[in-house]
This record gives sequence, structure tokens and C-alpha cells, in this order.
Amino acid sequence: MMSSTTSTFGAPLMRHSEGQVVLGGSGEDAVFKPADYPGREQPYEHRFSPYDFNGGTVAGVSGEDYLVIAADTRMSSGYEILSRNTSKLHQLNPNAILASSGCKTDMDQLRSVLDIKSKIYQHNHRKSMTATSTAQMLSNTLYGRRFFPYYAFNVLGGIDAEGKGCLFSYDAIGSFERTQYSATGSGQAYVIPFLDNVIGNRNHTEEKPTLSKEEVVELMKEAFVSAGERDIYTGDALEIMVMTKDGVTKETFELKKD
Amino acid sequence: MDFAFGPEPCMAIGHDILDIGSRKAQAKRQRGALGDAMSPAPLELGMPGQFDLPNVEDPARYCRTNFASVCGTGDEHQAVKFAKGTTTLAFKFNDGIIISVDSRSTMGNYISSGTVQKIIKINPFLLGTMAGGAADCSFWERNLGMECRLYELRNGRRITVAAASKLLANVMSSYRGYGLSMGTMVTGWDETGPQLYYVDDDGTRLKGRYFSVGSGSMYAYGVLDTGYKPDLTVDEAIELGTRAIYHATHRDAASGGINNLYHMTKDGWKFIHAVDVNDLHYKYAEEKKNAMAT
Repeated sequence: MMSSTTSTFGAPLMRHSEGQVVLGGSGEDAVFKPADYPGREQPYEHRFSPYDFNGGTVAGVSGEDYLVIAADTRMSSGYEILSRNTSKLHQLNPNAILASSGCKTDMDQLRSVLDIKSKIYQHNHRKSMTATSTAQMLSNTLYGRRFFPYYAFNVLGGIDAEGKGCLFSYDAIGSFERTQYSATGSGQAYVIPFLDNVIGNRNHTEEKPTLSKEEVVELMKEAFVSAGERDIYTGDALEIMVMTKDGVTKETFELKKD
Repeated sequence: MDFAFGPEPCMAIGHDILDIGSRKAQAKRQRGALGDAMSPAPLELGMPGQFDLPNVEDPARYCRTNFASVCGTGDEHQAVKFAKGTTTLAFKFNDGIIISVDSRSTMGNYISSGTVQKIIKINPFLLGTMAGGAADCSFWERNLGMECRLYELRNGRRITVAAASKLLANVMSSYRGYGLSMGTMVTGWDETGPQLYYVDDDGTRLKGRYFSVGSGSMYAYGVLDTGYKPDLTVDEAIELGTRAIYHATHRDAASGGINNLYHMTKDGWKFIHAVDVNDLHYKYAEEKKNAMAT
């Protein structure tokens, strides 16, 4: 295990989102005496965690010739909201948009690394990366950190070489799959069942309807409104990007701020 | 501070004593390749990279405690859970090999996907299955595909299944203890006939007649052991493979989705079917009802 550093605290106990490690019996290491903190029976030791969970939900739907990708704009840590307008969407190249949630520093670093790789590819090959190549690159980048993962849950969307919308969902170490729709982040469990029902037409007997991109945008708004009702980390505003072969449009939709 | 990592470059036969530039470059590479905390190694694209390890006394222990792809509920304490869970099986019979898998992937209690492709096409004559950590399997089997292609280019002939599975097993051996999770079957048809090897994340490599891997493997073995005969017809073999996966998905929570089935013949692999196990349930229930009625 990582060697713990003994910390000295003059100020009252700072709440740490990763929680405290309870030490049983190693009174020498602990700095806090139980008497100083009434209600705590055992001494605590702070352990440094390299990860913080900053919340947020991200979702995407790919269609016949379009891609809709959306993310809320709230950034939190523990029970605090740190920002109401951070963007989780990032266009990597003319063919792909990356949306990620999880730990903000890892998301930012991953975004920088992918930007650099995309630019170098563009300079070496004199063309932008296709969406499927970007997807594989992201998977390899994530697996390169297999033994100290990026705490970033990603959804990559784009228009593939044939002009069809494509969407890829990832786990933290790069396992990916091309899907029609996906959601990830803190509100994943609220958004995905809704998308399974309406877009995947799961367990319905009638024909699956084809949806236009305007309809999908409205469905996304509904999905995030519902997620915001039940997930404390989702809310404030929703950014929606729609990509077609003609380009990308962005829309912002207000969500509840509570 | 000037460290030299690794042995000093030695004077081999043919090594030009006047080629100072190459020796300098080699020494610089050895010094700069690993980097340190203050000046991390530069990003060299196109060059094979190295895996960063956490900066702790025992990186292997830290990794397998915190970043392992463990099946079942072993990773509840982990902040980041990885996708895994499965049933896969493969068996050899007189007309080739049947490979049958499910398609569910779970992250803790959450089903992250119902449509995962757990059969990886390494090349037209080699198939690998995926069980355990999804990223570990897909990354290393894709890497194996690259090595097999390089072998073909260097040697002018296709790699044998024994060699391919050995390459994979050696890689797994070298990362032993780091929390990788992979239980795969490498199957193919080479000049010695149909071959089936089981390769594990701790470097196990076993040649065999049939295997089943994953959280639902016990259920699949029950059906497989009962119905297996070397002289099955192709249709009977397909039916056995389908039924074994169906029963595993029925009882194992971490398996489900779609049954993908492939048949390995001497002309390469052939895709047979992708059937929803839910439909299989009703089909078998119907058959059972009809059988009981007569």
C-alpha cells in the first residue's frame, strides 16, 4: 500500500471526500486524540487518494447520418458544487467528439494527450483521423495507463467514413464497443434505462421507430431532466452537440440548479 | 544526477569503435527512457511505450489491490470498477472446433453492455475468446494479432496455434501479480489440425479437448460434459454449444445477452449465429412441453 504520511492538523478536521481510514490500535500514528473530537471513538488517519470523483453525466445517441452527444455542466466534489458551467464535451477532430465524466484532472489530461496525438497524426498523414481510428486511439491511450488508470469514463461519438453516425462507449481502462446509444457517469443508471426503452425499443413488441435528430435532442433533454431529479451530481445546464457531415451545432439547455 | 540504467553498451564484433554517435544515442536512450518524477519521459509516438506504474514501494501489490479486474464482487472496495463477467466455451470434435460465447459485460452490479463481442478474430484462421477483464482481453489479443501478422511477414508462413498461445502466455507471465484478469481460449486450425489452448492471466497455458471459462463456466461444463462426443455432427455440435451457453446465462447473473457461435474449419473460422438467449429460453421451453406431451 502507499506509505501514509502522518499529517498534523491544527485546524478542525477537514472532511475528505475519500473518507478516512480507521486505525485500530496504532495510536502512535494517529494525531487525533478521541477526546478532541467528541463522537469519534477511534483515531483516524488521512490517506492521500490520487482520485476525486467530480460527478456529471454524459450521454450519446448515433443515428443514420447524425450524432447527438450531451453532457451536463456541473462539477462537484463530495457535497459541494465547484462549478456550474464546466464543459465535458470536446471536439478532437472534424470527425469525433469526446465526452467524459469522472475525475476532472484525469479528463483534462486525457483530453490534452488525445489532442496532441490527433495533431501529430494530422501533421504526419495530412488528413484528420477517422472516428473509428480515434476510437481505437482512445482505447490504447487508456490501456497505456492500465496500472494507474485515468479515472475518466468516456463516450466518443462521431461520423464514420461512410457518413453514418457512430458512438463508442468505454470503461476506465479502454475496453470499448460501438453502440447505438450510451450513457456514463454518475447518472448513468438513470439515463440508460430510459434510452434502452425509447431508443433501443427493448422488450417492446412493436416496430422500432426511426428518430430524427430533432426528436433525439428532445429525448436527451427529457433524459437529463429525469436524471437531474434523482442524482445530486447532475444538473445546472445541459450542453448538446449535434454532428452531421456538414458540421457541428451546439445548444445549451438549462436544468435545475438545486 | 546521471544514472545509467542497464548494462553498459558492449563492444560486439562489428561494433564500429569510431561510431561514437550511436553509442551516445544508446546511452541517452537508456538514461532518458524511463524518466523520473520531475522530468517524465517524453511522448515518442510510434515507439512502443512502457506502462507507467504507481510510484509506491510495491507497485504489483498496489495494482492488484486497487486496479484489479476481479470477477464477482471482489472489487467492491475499488473506486474504479472494470468491465468483466462472462461464459465462454470451446470444444474440439471430429469436424473442427465450436466456439460459443455470451455477450454480457458487468461493472460491479451494473450491466455495462449486453452486446459485447467476446470472440476476437485474430486472423482468418485464429480466434480468441474473451473472459475476465474486457480491456485486458481485447488489448492483449489485439496485440497478439499484431505479433501473428509480424510472424507471417518475417517467416512467410502462418503462425501455429501453439506458438500464438505461447506468445500470449509469456506476456501474461511477465505481468503476473499486477491484477490483470484474462481467461482466454486461443483456437485455430494449422498444419497439425484443429488446436485449442487455454491461456490464463497467471501464465497458465493448457492444450485440451474442451474448455469453458468464466463466471458461468460451471453451468456450461455440466451441459458440455453430458452431451459431448467426439463424433458429433456439425449441427449437433452447434446445438450443444448453444444449449450450454443458454443454461449458463439462465443461472449465472453475470452472463446473458446474445449467444455468438463460430465454427473453426480447415478453411478458417465461420460465423454461425447470434441468437438472443431470451428467445432460446422460450424455444427450449416449447420443446420440453412438446416432448412431455407426446
